[in-house]
Amino acid sequence: MAIKKSSTKPTSLSQAETDAAGGPDRFESTFLEHWPRVYALLRRLVGDDAEAQDLALEAFMRLYQQPPMEDDQLNVGGWLHRVATNLGLNAIRGWKRRQRYELESGKLDLSENHPASPAELYASAEERQRVRTILGQMESRQAQILILRHSGLKYQEIAAALGVSVTSIGTLLGRAEGEFEKRYRAAFDEKG
Amino acid sequence: MNTHLDDGSLRAYLDKELGDSAAQEEAARHIAGCPACQERLKEAAARSRLAGQRLAFLAPTPETLSLQAHPAYTQFKHRLNQTKEKPMLQKIFRLRTLFAGLAVALILVIALSIPSGFAWAGQFLGLFRVQQVTVVPIDPTGLMALRGNSAVGQQISQLLAQSINFDQKPGKAQSVSSAAQASQAAGFSVRLPASEQAQPALLMQPGASFSFTVDRARAQALLDEAGRTDLVLPQSLDKETMSVTIPNSVTASYGVCPSLAGDMSSLGSNGRRYADCVVLAEMPSPTVHTPPDVDVQKLAEMGLEFTGMTAAEAQAYTASIDWTSSLVIPLPKNAATYEKVTVDGVTGMLIQRPADDAPEFALVWVKDGIIYTIGGLGSNSPRAIAMANSLQ
Repeated sequence: MAIKKSSTKPTSLSQAETDAAGGPDRFESTFLEHWPRVYALLRRLVGDDAEAQDLALEAFMRLYQQPPMEDDQLNVGGWLHRVATNLGLNAIRGWKRRQRYELESGKLDLSENHPASPAELYASAEERQRVRTILGQMESRQAQILILRHSGLKYQEIAAALGVSVTSIGTLLGRAEGEFEKRYRAAFDEKG
Repeated sequence: MNTHLDDGSLRAYLDKELGDSAAQEEAARHIAGCPACQERLKEAAARSRLAGQRLAFLAPTPETLSLQAHPAYTQFKHRLNQTKEKPMLQKIFRLRTLFAGLAVALILVIALSIPSGFAWAGQFLGLFRVQQVTVVPIDPTGLMALRGNSAVGQQISQLLAQSINFDQKPGKAQSVSSAAQASQAAGFSVRLPASEQAQPALLMQPGASFSFTVDRARAQALLDEAGRTDLVLPQSLDKETMSVTIPNSVTASYGVCPSLAGDMSSLGSNGRRYADCVVLAEMPSPTVHTPPDVDVQKLAEMGLEFTGMTAAEAQAYTASIDWTSSLVIPLPKNAATYEKVTVDGVTGMLIQRPADDAPEFALVWVKDGIIYTIGGLGSNSPRAIAMANSLQ
């Protein structure tokens, strides 16, 4: 698992809001604490390293400039994860609309991974592209919950990120997994 | 436990996330004695495993995570500084004082083409209580020539900055989560399009109010220095104060959008990424109070002349516009096309800036005292019209 979870506790939002407004040093610590997870999540999601960096920086820029209002309900980590997954999913959808991603993605992925054989190499690049296509087609919240859970977030963290109750995560996650598989089969199995 | 576990609880049970350990154990006991639940658990586990396997394909190899936190923060600070190091004039412009609800239209269409301060001044003189939208095509050649004269530009910037006195500075934009919350925070009824499936990113930009006191001598000196000795400001203008109130505004961003509070003018090639971004902005009409003896029409005429119109053209235009109720958008000739369109039950303006690499558009209309703008990159104007017609 390439995603390394941050061991520190999430910073409270009201603190980050103060940070963003007046204390660059404290914003810095928030940034340093959350950067690895946010960046890694986007790296997983969009594949392209430069784009992942750019989107992650954009997520932090939004935190700095437009801290969320509901500071008693959400924490900074949750907010960042929501914004980051949204940015990433929208990027995927953008590629799809421009109909040029597919080709590039295959090339990119081929060049940066080192599986055992050319066949495996091709298979994993194609699979990756399929997964992204399906995530891009799904309803945002369903795609987000899949990405967050399978990036190793706890239910409580996912609930904070999506602004839903922690008791609803099991139901939402189960549905999202079912929906993902249904769409995946519909899109690719027949072509098998 | 006698009741069966629902699908959500089974899924949480798989992840050992069913609350505390007692809840996990109780669920385990029930499942042990319930073949039906065992069957459903097996199905949920299979689904979860399959999704996990597929999503695992996304995992990057560790060496590709090339940007560590500290260098990333250095990059972040660099980006932040880029957005901060802007001349005062641009800051005023981007504060969305006068343009609050029109940020999109102005930034995308006008700022790219003419020095913002002049557009700003034109607006300032023209705005009372907006009921309709009018476009004035201007020839920006005169302004372009002035652009090279940075000394004059700086002085204009300084004069504007020193002439403005904020009663209420525009506060920081805040994220809001729903139309209801946006309406509550902004103090007017925010409408969102039914034609869009996705949830927009909603921002409430607090309003501002300021007054502007004319220093006639300095303004005239600047005109002279800019080579426009033919334009003579009325003596009566000196020390006149106009006050401007900008209400709260709300923007709803759909798709991947650049940060509105950030620097939109330097998108450059990044613009392509935002091809699917569409931003809807809503703001009640700003109000402008001018002393009764200020001849707004005359000033507007001078403003238009300043941009390069002949005196006769300027006169003809100003006579055709009701300056007390029109939102006047100065649009550089050749840089954009505009047409009247019927949207939301009223007449609006669709402004399009065709460009091979990054076309832009802005749809502007006024309904029931609220100014609406939908803007974006790309050729999404049909989408904007559908949005405008489905506001609710």
